[in-house]
Amino acid sequence: MTLKITVDSSPTPTLKLVGRLDTDTAPQLDGELNKVLARKGIKRLVFDLSGLDYLSSAGIRCFVRARKSIEPGGGTVAILNPQPGVRKVLDIVKAIPAKGIFASVAELDEYLDAIQQQVRDQ
Amino acid sequence: MAVPIYAAAMYMSYRSAAQQLELGAERDADELASRLAAELDAVIRPIEGGIRTVAAQLEEIDPPREQYELRIRGILAAWPDVYGSTIAVETASTHSSAGPFAPYFFRRNGGVEFSDLALDSYAYQTLPWYRRAADGRQPVWSSPYFDRGGGEIWMVTYSVPFFRRPADAPRALAGVVTADLDLNWVKAAAENAVLGPIGMGWLLSPPGQESFVAPVGATAARVAAFDASITEQTFRDAGERMLGSGVTFELVRGVTAEPVYLAVRGLETLDWRLMLAIPRAELLAGARALLERQLLLGAVGLILLVAAISFVAAGISRPIHALAISVDGAREGDFDFRLPDTRRHDEVGVLTEALRRMRDSLQRHIELRAEDLAARARLEHELAIAASIQQSMLPHGAADAHPAGARVAAALLPAKQVGGDLYDYFERDAGLLFAIGDVSDKGIPAALFMASVSGLFKVLGSAGELPERLLARVNERLAESNDACMFATMGCGFLDFETGLVRYASAGHDQPLLLELGGSVEPLQAENGPALAVETLAVYPLTERQIAPGDTLLLFTDGVTEAAASDGSLFGLERLSALLRDAGQGAPDALVRKIVEAVTAHAADFHATDDLTVLAVTFAPRGVTPSRSTDGEQWLIEPELSAAGCRDARRWVRQILAARRVVDSRIADTELIAEESLTNLIRAASEAGGKSWVSLTLALTPLEIVLTLRDNGLAFDPLARAAPNLDLEIADRDVGGLGIHLVRALADECRYARVDDCNVLTIQLNRMAA
Repeated sequence: MTLKITVDSSPTPTLKLVGRLDTDTAPQLDGELNKVLARKGIKRLVFDLSGLDYLSSAGIRCFVRARKSIEPGGGTVAILNPQPGVRKVLDIVKAIPAKGIFASVAELDEYLDAIQQQVRDQ
Repeated sequence: MAVPIYAAAMYMSYRSAAQQLELGAERDADELASRLAAELDAVIRPIEGGIRTVAAQLEEIDPPREQYELRIRGILAAWPDVYGSTIAVETASTHSSAGPFAPYFFRRNGGVEFSDLALDSYAYQTLPWYRRAADGRQPVWSSPYFDRGGGEIWMVTYSVPFFRRPADAPRALAGVVTADLDLNWVKAAAENAVLGPIGMGWLLSPPGQESFVAPVGATAARVAAFDASITEQTFRDAGERMLGSGVTFELVRGVTAEPVYLAVRGLETLDWRLMLAIPRAELLAGARALLERQLLLGAVGLILLVAAISFVAAGISRPIHALAISVDGAREGDFDFRLPDTRRHDEVGVLTEALRRMRDSLQRHIELRAEDLAARARLEHELAIAASIQQSMLPHGAADAHPAGARVAAALLPAKQVGGDLYDYFERDAGLLFAIGDVSDKGIPAALFMASVSGLFKVLGSAGELPERLLARVNERLAESNDACMFATMGCGFLDFETGLVRYASAGHDQPLLLELGGSVEPLQAENGPALAVETLAVYPLTERQIAPGDTLLLFTDGVTEAAASDGSLFGLERLSALLRDAGQGAPDALVRKIVEAVTAHAADFHATDDLTVLAVTFAPRGVTPSRSTDGEQWLIEPELSAAGCRDARRWVRQILAARRVVDSRIADTELIAEESLTNLIRAASEAGGKSWVSLTLALTPLEIVLTLRDNGLAFDPLARAAPNLDLEIADRDVGGLGIHLVRALADECRYARVDDCNVLTIQLNRMAA
């Protein structure tokens, strides 16, 4: 019962979490987040939760920390494809606004395109 | 025995002699009869011939009446026994005009005298001697008669008719010629006849009004000697009856004081009868004499025989008596008795020799039996050792020697001293490997095969194989060299102490029963592979089952379910399941004891049927204390005060709920609640140090999941904290308070209480997800 984290090194990094994110594994995610957030100019951070089985408040705190780190600079944190149990927890604590949670990559891309359009329009 | 046979022989000899005598008497009677007949015939036949010749001449010649006298005198002259004669003329004939004419000449005083029968007063033509011949138209003898007023003698008359045939007329009666025969000579002839040495005889005329009787031989004297009251008349009726029924010789009783033989013969001459009577006593006197002589000889012989036999028997019985006394000693069990030393070659010698042989063979038999018993005792001893060796192959867990994560109890009761059942268990890789087996057959072969299976299980099991692979490898080894064609069934499991997961594989063995903490019982649905040692390359399917602490796996051999009561009813799976359900929560050794007691009580004589083996494995990991509650089960989890302790507690919650088949989402909810509520408590207690403690109780009822957290820290009600404002912008959000918020959101009810200086937080969820 562990957590496996894969991160791509693109300018819009996606952290794919597989396993359980709880009190025990949250420090592990915190470590990875530190490395990712240390990069300059990150505008968008995606957590792919399709492989995440369990989420507790310790994990939610990681997401909140990420939002606090990116959003003030105009960045966006998105959650991709959470399983129902995880989605339920997210909904209860409203750690991520509902508009930031996406059921699929396509939905996410559509949303991101819209944001970029918005930026260009400004 | 000899006496009746001898008597029968005597009687037959006597009968035979008597028969000979009877035949002789009969022959004598025949002889006498023919002699008498010949004698009578010698007189009578010539007279008959002569008279008939005279009659023929009268027919032929028809002489004048004057000549008749001449002819009559001629008849008298020719036959001295003729007393008188006449020629009587028939006057009824039509051609004769002459009157009656019947001159009669007879002897008197040495001369011949004349008497005229043709007197009206006499009327000769109406008299019987005339009429019978005239009407019968043939010669006829009259019955004997006594001539009263005439000759005063017994006479008999022979009458011969004669006929003439005148011209132009049919043949007609012309007259009758007669001759009167004096019967004195018959008397004389009878008297002169020679009668045998015994008996009496009479010559009798045919029965009529007046019968002529002539005693035969010296009859009168003999009658007097025999029985003076007897006369010829006494026998006449019996004689006539015999003649009527054609019997000629007969023993007649009742006529005289003593039985007599009666011989009767009819003579052709004059139709007379000869009757002989022979007293039986006299006839058979010879036979009786013979019999008496034989009896005397027989008696003497018998006495001599008895004396001789007694002498010989004494020669046999004395040694036999001696033998009997010798053999009697054997009654006391002493088969070493001495037999008389005899050199005899008779039956006694043979008997003594036979007894000697019997005694020797008995002695040999007793020696062999003693050796046999000794050998058996040795075998018993060896079996006892074998049994103790076999028992030593089985693990003997003392109560405190239980493995870290389980409590185990077992019982094995072999049907014979050694058996084919086995069980084994040992701790390995933070888990328990356990197995139960049942070898085909019973007794020593099964025990040896069992030892082989047991050894392979230990070696291969220690090497780290898991049940399905372990069975496959044990099977492979056994099947390679299974010349005895034995086989065994085996159930094998591995209980992981950390996960509570049971991996189980079965080689043709009965499915184990799973007794849950709360008391429900169900078979472990394990798919079976082939029995061990049957196929070389067998595959054993794996069954996995999550169990909770306090759950018990019960493995058993068919000695349990197939234990038969005296009425034939088997103990059966139903009874076993019911027993487990009703057993209440207890240690596995108590459970095993209860099962053994129930099975032995059920079976009239279970030792005679099959080996009986029970193995109970109760999951008892450290840090978790299972117990039954009034309406369900509960587990007291006492985590270490560390992150790992917290993790373990959550794991137990997850595993227990999984074992109880709670839906996954509810398991996740419950685990999350446990984590959120426990994490801070443990951290705080850990920081407080000292005698701080935290415990979590998971209780399950049919409808609810209840988590109760207790700690002895400072009074703190997490529920009193205000809910975080989740609508604030992320930058303004406080990251604390999320956990308890999650708990409240997921639980159906939360309560806090301070009890006995402890914080008690009770969180309740519906067992079914909302």
